[in-house]
Amino acid sequence: MDRSNLSRKAASQVIDPSTTSLGVSPSAPAGPGTAPDPGRQILEYRNVSKTFPGEARTVVALDGVSFSVQEGEFISLVGPSGCGKTTLLRITDGLETADEGEIRLDGRALSGVSREMSYVFQDINLLPWRSVIQNVELGLEVRGVPKAERRSRAMEVLEMVGLGAVASVPPYTLSGGMQQRVGVARAVAVRPKVLLMDEPFGQLDNFTRESLQVEIAELWQKLGTTIVFVTHDVDEAIFLSDRIALFLPEPGRLTEIVDVDLPRPRTDYDVRAHPNAIKLRSYIMDHLRGDRGVRP
Amino acid sequence: MASGQPNPPTLTEETLVAETRMAAAAPVPTPAAPVVGPVANRSVMPFLGARRDLIAKMVAVIAALALWQASSAFLKPIFISTPSKVVSALINLIGNGQLPGAFLRSLIEMLIGMAIAAGVGIAVGLLMGRIRLVERALDPVVAFGNATPSIALLPVMEVWFGIGTSARVAFIMVICTWPLLVNTYAGARAVRGRYLDVGNAFGMSGWQQTWKIYLPGAMPFIFVGLRIALAVGAVGMILGGQEIGQSGLGGLTADFGSYSETADLVATIVTTTALAMFLFGAFRRIQDWRFPWIAATSAGRRQAK
Repeated sequence: MDRSNLSRKAASQVIDPSTTSLGVSPSAPAGPGTAPDPGRQILEYRNVSKTFPGEARTVVALDGVSFSVQEGEFISLVGPSGCGKTTLLRITDGLETADEGEIRLDGRALSGVSREMSYVFQDINLLPWRSVIQNVELGLEVRGVPKAERRSRAMEVLEMVGLGAVASVPPYTLSGGMQQRVGVARAVAVRPKVLLMDEPFGQLDNFTRESLQVEIAELWQKLGTTIVFVTHDVDEAIFLSDRIALFLPEPGRLTEIVDVDLPRPRTDYDVRAHPNAIKLRSYIMDHLRGDRGVRP
Repeated sequence: MASGQPNPPTLTEETLVAETRMAAAAPVPTPAAPVVGPVANRSVMPFLGARRDLIAKMVAVIAALALWQASSAFLKPIFISTPSKVVSALINLIGNGQLPGAFLRSLIEMLIGMAIAAGVGIAVGLLMGRIRLVERALDPVVAFGNATPSIALLPVMEVWFGIGTSARVAFIMVICTWPLLVNTYAGARAVRGRYLDVGNAFGMSGWQQTWKIYLPGAMPFIFVGLRIALAVGAVGMILGGQEIGQSGLGGLTADFGSYSETADLVATIVTTTALAMFLFGAFRRIQDWRFPWIAATSAGRRQAK
């Protein structure tokens, strides 16, 4: 258990008043103006536990998970199926509740669904009765943003993901990759403090997945949003992340957080062949298999 | 809208499933396969081209009519009359206003009954799908009501509402409510499984989820419920017309039947069928016009799984 990151970064919990109200203020630009403060912790997990009682057997999905996420950081949660990574993400967004422990966003304990975070689903879940732009407007609608502003903000993010031209078509006419771009746009449109992504590219083919990885890296740099990204694809995690949290199953637990020492921006595909990436990959694979590797 | 679909968008979900299954199970056209649909690409009569299907249908109809007409040679006309007599009866009954009046009356009763049934059925079905307590409380009631043979309720409607329009409308409403309710409830449960996370993740209130997620999400099921309601409602419409004060198309059938006016009777039955088909077609149009995603996505989803 390497919690050194946690203790090193658990220093201050400053609440920045300018970022407490989400999105509704028209002055907040969607661009790089949000000015993330790296090193400041935005999300803090304290001893989060969750058990799914079952008739056949009881599954301990999460066993005392503690760590923190820094503002503006891209952190991936990686591990084999059943390690609790998706459960942790769902608890973060309030889609599930933890049995024990708490999660703090900007120093405030979360309860229920937080409107300051958005979620990107693996199975995308666009609403087929709404057009692409209406899907993107969904979160803004719920937050009571007036119609005209809603439309222009939705259009802005759609253009950001390169889908301005298909704003008015029904989502089911789009390819899987385009649909997930809409899913990302829908989540980003509300200008969340933290973007939670649950294996967002898991259902896409290899080519689409890799181009979306590049796009999401660019989008993240443009927006400066904090991203918590769940995946079981180690290469994907290495390509995208600043840090990778490794989870193991039975019971689902966080075993280690590793730094990804690779240059940014990583829009260049060659980064995957970087010696550090290769070393890190074999370390992570060994770790997740239960072997003890040498730390890169 | 369904530009990416290989099948024409007018197909129902059911036929789409049937056809995809057929296509999967029998890539080689079997001799038993019907002459319609994508399986029968190896054409029987290729020179007819694209109009082949239409011509086949017309031939079948004309053959049936010819057989019917020919039956007068060995059957007494009182049994099933003949097409020519039915046509003249039809012209006569339309001319004297009997049939149009009955048609309108039945149509209006049917629409009112179904509208109330849709209101009640969709509202209660949504409530059951949204609120666990309501679901648990009403589950046995719905099971009981749905299992009750609705024809048995006809005298009850007479007792409650007398022998007028309101009793007939109430009868149609009662028997149409169940399929709408049960299907809306099933639709809401399907939404619970599929789209619930979306509503929650965006922090929607319960009310917003009901309006923005559950009601639209349940629409495919509601349309299935409407089609079933239409089928049972048409039976209710005729039965009500026959049994409750002899009115509308049902009343006419009872009338002509008791006097053995077979040609008039068949003309009325044909009109009844036309009314039901008109309503079926109207619902289909409404679905394709307002909810094009239903036909488009149900096929896509099934192909994906």
